[in-house]
Amino acid sequence: MNNRIKSLLSAAAVLLGGTGCLFSGTASAHHSFSAEYDAEKPISFTGKVTEMKWSNPHGWIFLDVTDDKGKVTNWALETSQSNALIRRGWRKEDLPVGTVLKIEGWQARNGTPTGNIRAVTLSDGRRLFAGTSNQNAQEEK
Amino acid sequence: MLRYLLGLFVVLACTVQAQNLPRAASGKPDMQGIWQVTAGSGADLERLAGTLPYLPAALAQKQANYSARSSKDPMNRCWLPGTPRVMLLDYPFEITQTDAALAVTFQWQQVYRLIYTTASKSRYEGVESWMGHSRGHWEGDVLVVEVKDFNDRSWLDAAGNFHSGAMQVVERYQLRDADTIVYQATVTDAKVFSKPWVLNVEFKRQKGQPRLMEYQCQAEKEEANGAFERDDRFWYGAKIPATNEPFDAKASNTKPLPKSDATVHRMADGTPDMSGYFLTDAGGANYGLEGTKGNFLTPGAKGVVIDPADGNLPYQQWARTERVNREQPYRGYDDPTAHCFVAGVPRSLYVPSPFHIVQTKDRVVFLHERMAWREIDLKRREHLPDATRLWQGDSIGHFEGDTLVVDTRNFNGKAWHNEVGDVLSHMQTIQETFTPVSEGKIIYRATVSDPIPYKRPWTIELPLNRMDDELLEVACLEDNNDLQHLKDVRDEYRAAQAKK
Repeated sequence: MNNRIKSLLSAAAVLLGGTGCLFSGTASAHHSFSAEYDAEKPISFTGKVTEMKWSNPHGWIFLDVTDDKGKVTNWALETSQSNALIRRGWRKEDLPVGTVLKIEGWQARNGTPTGNIRAVTLSDGRRLFAGTSNQNAQEEK
Repeated sequence: MLRYLLGLFVVLACTVQAQNLPRAASGKPDMQGIWQVTAGSGADLERLAGTLPYLPAALAQKQANYSARSSKDPMNRCWLPGTPRVMLLDYPFEITQTDAALAVTFQWQQVYRLIYTTASKSRYEGVESWMGHSRGHWEGDVLVVEVKDFNDRSWLDAAGNFHSGAMQVVERYQLRDADTIVYQATVTDAKVFSKPWVLNVEFKRQKGQPRLMEYQCQAEKEEANGAFERDDRFWYGAKIPATNEPFDAKASNTKPLPKSDATVHRMADGTPDMSGYFLTDAGGANYGLEGTKGNFLTPGAKGVVIDPADGNLPYQQWARTERVNREQPYRGYDDPTAHCFVAGVPRSLYVPSPFHIVQTKDRVVFLHERMAWREIDLKRREHLPDATRLWQGDSIGHFEGDTLVVDTRNFNGKAWHNEVGDVLSHMQTIQETFTPVSEGKIIYRATVSDPIPYKRPWTIELPLNRMDDELLEVACLEDNNDLQHLKDVRDEYRAAQAKK
């Protein structure tokens, strides 16, 4: 595992233990995410958007991630449902190809460059699945 | 003079005819009921609308689509039909009509449309979808519906006729007599067609049907090809195991119903009106009806069981073992909603998605954002024959004071109560109460009586909160990237087991 993909179990514990996170339906899965993803493989890196699928009940962000040796890997990163993003006011135009995103999450059990992401931050500090004027989005993340 | 008299005669004749139409309290024609287009109408639109005015490049695409239609038609994969195609299927649909909205529910795959008639513009204008955003208004006795914000993925028919995301559809629904709706759709799409074109068909009232049934296109396909495996312990036909502890049917929730306050919305006759957009404060019920801590990706659950008092489900021991087993990663594939099948009852109310209620004096229709409808019949008093089995069951209800009391049975036993696999069988019967306690809140309870996996009935309670919002679309099956991953995990497990 390269340097940019660091174990962040403590960060994970903070994320899940945060007030309101426990019962707010953070995962909003239509099945257990834990069946697909591995708690022992936390991921955290920055990359450039190559594609985004605004799908439901889960969206997908495809991110080109360059490691220390300059090798580029395209990660498929599963998000919560896109309808939650839309209710927060995000639109497709806000995340064009090339947008730089920092993500945190967990890798798939099968070891492919596939992950489930919990925290997504833009270079200007805005967070994709946080901060909303729409109370409905809170429940639906 | 003769022309004048003839004209007067026509006007009078039409007036008489129009007066015979069924009408809602608002005076608008009442189109409520079960309808279907003439069989075969949706196969090839050019038989109905004539040769479509394709732009040259689009015509080539249409011909390519036609050649590959058996593999390329999105509906052959049970994907959302789009509009107007959904109106032309060889399956019945039902209209539930209020002054604020019309719910159009389809037997095919339990798809629905919600036509708002109160606001001219969608809150989510520009957000594309398979079915489009529908906005309706009345022009005299004609319901005019403007539909737009389509994606470019659906086809117009089974012959490869297609459209772009720029398509706009204007529909006109006119009740000609009590049993006929004259339907016209004008399709405009400057990227595909050189000019607008018009489609005219009629919908005929379907009489003698007790209710709209379910045709679960994808579920039936996956059962037939083995992708969704039968579980004989729970599906229709299963019997109570001889080794079960006796079922104590009399044990029951004794918590009194809450009271309604003066702010509750009411129909003209004083009955509570639950119509509107709601989101359940689900307390994580989709991740456990009992309280759980959750794990790294699945949030915890606070526990929503109010009876038994300890908050635990009264499982038979073997069923508890099955419930625990369902949390194994290799069982993720077995959750029917991972296949995008209908969530069932009461799960549809606590999956983390909103729903919209359309209520008339005859029925209460739930439109769940995850593209499934559920209908509670307020007129019928007898359930469907025992052998008719449905994912959502058969719900009949009535008001007792301000509480809607619903009895649901005829389940097929194929669903799970949540994604951690709380167990149900086809023998479950469910008593629900919906008590609007204020303008913004309904207290919902469901008492599940299921003698196969449980020792006694149990009850959950959840608040349903009214909100100011509109439904979006969830195209679950069309965008389901997870199922293959879940299948890989399962297959890997099975291969490892086989080696042992």
